[in-house]
Amino acid sequence: MTIQNASRPAVSPSSAGQPSPQARFRRRSAISDLLVVIAWVSGPVAASLYLASGGLADVKDFGSFFTALGIVTGLIGTDFILLMLVLAARVPVIDRAVGHDRAIGLHRQLGKPALYLILAHAGLLLIGYGASSGINAIAEIGPMLALPDMITAVVGTALLIAVVVTSLVAVRRKFPYEFWHVIHLLSYAAVLFALPHQLSIGGTLAEGTVQRVYWIGLYVLAIGAIVIFRFGVPLFRSWAHDIRVQQVEWIAPDVASIHLTGRDLRALGAGGGQFVIWRFWTAGTWWHSHPISLSALPTDRHARITVRVLGRGTRRLTTVKPGTRVSFAGPYGIFTDAARTSPKLAIVAAGIGITPARALLEGSQLARGEATVLVRSSTDDETFLWTEMRKLAEARGAQLFAMVGPRARNSWMSQHDTSRGVTLRSIFPDLDSSDLYVCGPQAWAEAVVADARAAGLPEHQIHLESFEL
Amino acid sequence: MRRRAAVASIIASAGVILAGVQVGAAVTAARTPTATGTGSGSSNGGSTSGTGTSSGTSSGSTGSTGSTGAAKDGTFNGTTVQTPFGPMQVAAVISGGKLTDVKVLQRTNQGGRSIQISNQADPMLRNEVLQAQSANVSTIGGATYTSEGYLQSLQAALDQAGFAG
Repeated sequence: MTIQNASRPAVSPSSAGQPSPQARFRRRSAISDLLVVIAWVSGPVAASLYLASGGLADVKDFGSFFTALGIVTGLIGTDFILLMLVLAARVPVIDRAVGHDRAIGLHRQLGKPALYLILAHAGLLLIGYGASSGINAIAEIGPMLALPDMITAVVGTALLIAVVVTSLVAVRRKFPYEFWHVIHLLSYAAVLFALPHQLSIGGTLAEGTVQRVYWIGLYVLAIGAIVIFRFGVPLFRSWAHDIRVQQVEWIAPDVASIHLTGRDLRALGAGGGQFVIWRFWTAGTWWHSHPISLSALPTDRHARITVRVLGRGTRRLTTVKPGTRVSFAGPYGIFTDAARTSPKLAIVAAGIGITPARALLEGSQLARGEATVLVRSSTDDETFLWTEMRKLAEARGAQLFAMVGPRARNSWMSQHDTSRGVTLRSIFPDLDSSDLYVCGPQAWAEAVVADARAAGLPEHQIHLESFEL
Repeated sequence: MRRRAAVASIIASAGVILAGVQVGAAVTAARTPTATGTGSGSSNGGSTSGTGTSSGTSSGSTGSTGSTGAAKDGTFNGTTVQTPFGPMQVAAVISGGKLTDVKVLQRTNQGGRSIQISNQADPMLRNEVLQAQSANVSTIGGATYTSEGYLQSLQAALDQAGFAG
């Protein structure tokens, strides 16, 4: 490991006028907690809709008990599904508070419970209605299907099953991404198909009730969030900023920077370390979108992303011609200055992980000596963007360490450095009062995070951006 | 911070459920008299299954007998019609050869599934049939079964009265 430069900044940008990382963290976690509370309480609220319609008074026997349970599971299950739509909608307030990754994480966790609740809803009501009519659940299927809007509800449930099953990790691996994605889009249809029977059958959401107003409001909120933030805003921004490929520049054997030009790109408000979901409009690439980190902060006319060629998709990206039209969604993510919680900044980056790390350093307002950066690579081929990183570190008054050489067994560091006793704490002496930003190949990055946890760093001080390699 | 969110979620959830139960109790208390309806009917009809099959009894007329040939004056109970949501029974009030009122004797309320639908639909149906002077009117959207039960029971009552519109 070598020290690339001592902390001798030419200018130390003043962080005066900006709230401290701690103050920003308090604010962000207050918003994040509020969102978490709203999300979880929406479930009990759904159950309460039934209770408030006098549902409990109708529970008199076996059949009505199952009917009540069936109604409540349907309400909560649907609430979860609407919540999943909101989480996947890339709503700015959610992205800024918890980050796109965590929102999608919760979205994934809710998938199976939501499906189970909906299936329980169908099963319980078959039992309940059947018992009230003196027949078994199977015999009740016929009369049940005769109820108004029941056919669309069954179609909606079938779509929901397809969506969840194709999203199970084991199943998803068997299909190309595009197949999964198209099936996943059916979830919008599933949600809409389920709506008529909710409004026309049960008494809970009957016309003229507050419950009905609330429920339709939930639908408007969820569908509206999707329409606006998944489709409307990206379409508008893509049109307004008119981004085109300027040039593809190879900076390492399988790493290329794609330079982009556009209009008024600063107005996107991209924070250093954020990613953007890109779509390049050529015959071979338009059907696949790519989340790629900005490797430099956009200027008014210019933006830059850097990609590693991993497969056919990314290979094609590097062959796009100058002038190619590019649409995009974003920027997203909180691998940025905005997620800071502590007075000091520690950055560890390896391989292609250098891209957000570089932009993060560029976009951070730092006092002299506030930041320490470690860049890591197994071979000399992997030192792309390091020169830029060195210049930035110099300008920001940050200390930069470089660690080159084959990785040691059971460590994220090089053999050479582990053998001479280098540790996370020896690199970052102020670790306890630092935010640790880790970005690089997934397994490696997780090893760094595990090391930081073992060193006693609290979870909110660890920021991870991993790249699937 | 996570604990704060968890505690707040639990407290808020408990509050929401309690509020739901409270409102539900108030709604139930307010509903009871209207659900029974006026007249002789009670809403606890023994429910057997079947979609729209007509069963049950048609009780006799009360009140005076009007002039022969035309409709009799008085209150005539319709048959009890079984709907997927429970029994439905209405009574037609005929005065001076005209249909002047429809009283709901039994309202669909099985399992509480559709009492609100019924509460909503009944006055609308009443207006329609009084205006049309016939049970031959269109059903209320979103309350098809309730409407069909209502109109079928009414038709039986009108037949009994010899009311032809």
